[in-house]
Amino acid sequence: MEEEPYLEIYLDRCMNQDELASTSSHLFSPIVPYDSYLHTSSNQETIASPLEPSKEPSTDLSSVDLSFLPDELNQENTEQTLTEGKPGVEGNHEIQGAPSRVQSLNEKDSGGICTDDFSLSNSGLNPLSDGNSTLPSPENSSSGFFPLTSMTPLMPVTPVSEGSGIVPQLQNIVSTVNLACKLDLKKIALQAKNAEYNPKRFAAVIMRIREPRTTALIFSSGKMVCTGAKSEELSRLAARKFARVVQKLGFPARFLDFKIQNMVGSCDMRFPIRLESLALTHQQFSSYEPELFPGLIYRMVKPRIVLLIFVSGKVVLTGAKERSEIYEAFENIYPILKGFKKA
Amino acid sequence: MNNTAPSPMSAIATSSSGRGTGKSTSFALELQSMMFSLGDARRPLHETAVLVEDIVHTQLINLLQQAAEVSQLRGARVISAEDLLFLMRKDKKKLKRLLKYMFFRDYKSKIVKGIEEDDLLEDKFSSSSNVNKRQKIAQDFLHSIDQTGELLAMFEDDEIDDIKQERMERAERQTRMMDAAQYAEFCESRQLSFSKKASKFRDWLDCSSMEIKPNVIAMEILAYLAYETVAQLVDLALLVRQDMAPKAGDPFSHAISATFIQYHASAESTAACGIEAQSNAIQPSHIREAIRRYGHKIGPVSPFTSAYRRNGMTFLAC
Repeated sequence: MEEEPYLEIYLDRCMNQDELASTSSHLFSPIVPYDSYLHTSSNQETIASPLEPSKEPSTDLSSVDLSFLPDELNQENTEQTLTEGKPGVEGNHEIQGAPSRVQSLNEKDSGGICTDDFSLSNSGLNPLSDGNSTLPSPENSSSGFFPLTSMTPLMPVTPVSEGSGIVPQLQNIVSTVNLACKLDLKKIALQAKNAEYNPKRFAAVIMRIREPRTTALIFSSGKMVCTGAKSEELSRLAARKFARVVQKLGFPARFLDFKIQNMVGSCDMRFPIRLESLALTHQQFSSYEPELFPGLIYRMVKPRIVLLIFVSGKVVLTGAKERSEIYEAFENIYPILKGFKKA
Repeated sequence: MNNTAPSPMSAIATSSSGRGTGKSTSFALELQSMMFSLGDARRPLHETAVLVEDIVHTQLINLLQQAAEVSQLRGARVISAEDLLFLMRKDKKKLKRLLKYMFFRDYKSKIVKGIEEDDLLEDKFSSSSNVNKRQKIAQDFLHSIDQTGELLAMFEDDEIDDIKQERMERAERQTRMMDAAQYAEFCESRQLSFSKKASKFRDWLDCSSMEIKPNVIAMEILAYLAYETVAQLVDLALLVRQDMAPKAGDPFSHAISATFIQYHASAESTAACGIEAQSNAIQPSHIREAIRRYGHKIGPVSPFTSAYRRNGMTFLAC
């Protein structure tokens, strides 16, 4: 049948998205759309462009059997994505779960291959629409959200709260990845350009690349630690570049289990803070020994983040595995620190 | 009048370079800053600082010698953390505070390491057993000497340290009234410690005449103990000063000892010039009285406890 090759192509595309989605879905937060999603949505755009009749079938969809979904969800959906949510993350998930299926149908159709099927014939439509309705469901939770971000503004939106207005900037991301092959460190050190290897001091090769400016520790077991990137995508990109360098040196390097281990963010409250009072009032969470370290170490329980708070008002947040944790921690500490502002 | 004197902090930078012209290193200026951060007036008296320096120095030298003896008993070549912990075993509260300090040091280096990328690599270079190194040493040692189990129970025990609490409250009260500039100065003073000036501290201690010398962690602990001694002195001196202030309706005013009144009288005479400023700063007389009271074993059993005191010196820090 004619739909077969299209179906295969569509499935391939879904599998690619799956690969990205499964690794980066944990990064997703409906509150803040990430730059990473710009890449994937732009991917979709590039795939969509060769297929011209992309905009029309959105109206043709009325012929598709969507009676299981109420009509207003279609419009509601667009409003929801534009008004970026508050910390009612679960609520958003719920609401967006259903219409995302519709949306995914819309977007995938406009993005792609299915539009041709629609224009083909109605008989071809139904099996494919069934395929569509079943296919997106496994990806529903993850790639189903991808199409939504193409409608959201391309600038990162600050989380809406009671006037915090400050967004912590990510300073460093530490990630690990498994190259899944034994490596000859001496060979790598000799042949690679920016590599140092001092087996007497430390049993790993230290490699640096300039773009993005990162450093990697590569161990003979094939495991690698990548530090210095300023965002999740950059960390992943850098890790891939390191893996490619190793690959080019002749090792069968793969890219397994990429995981972000730690994220560090910083921001400035722009007012001085009375650390003594904070240490006294929040004793169970704070440790303040100015003889040892000029900042107060605040151990937030939920989310589990460590904040270093300085007299000048600068705050460093560390220990996060996801960006949302940093934002959440900052939103939690902001009203507390405002209360201890040094007049 | 004291307020017009240049800030001790700014003077430290200029004078420490000119130090060493025959006279051994002196921490008088740093001590003035430290005392300010611990609760003294904004410009602590120089005489008080000199006296405090003298006391701390003497106590530390004595402590070092006792630690050297313990070390010899052990048969070790250097004085290490274990020896100092052994000397402190009698006073659980102070020991607990020291342990908390050590753990905090480990914790802080762990966190800062995660933030600074260069530090991360540096740490990878050094042995990975650096994490919680001090904590491990402390725990292992206490485990070995603990006969009754009360030392190890300290680790689980989560009581609030009263003295630490009092110091925090005092600092909070002090900073409440400050404006931004004064507060910045206060914070700078608080950050000053003996461990920051490690090399100067080592020269000041002058261990060259000793056979057994302390290692790095032992020096850290000694710096901490020196700071603790200063803190204790200020605590006690403030208490004494509070006692000295004549309170109407104080039932014990008739029971004050003669020496006490003598101190009080001398304070009165010098108070003729600028009573306002003088009453704020801690006087050397307060310090001496505090030492006297601390060393003096008061109580019904005191005549019989002389065997308890080893060298005739009671340490403030342990």
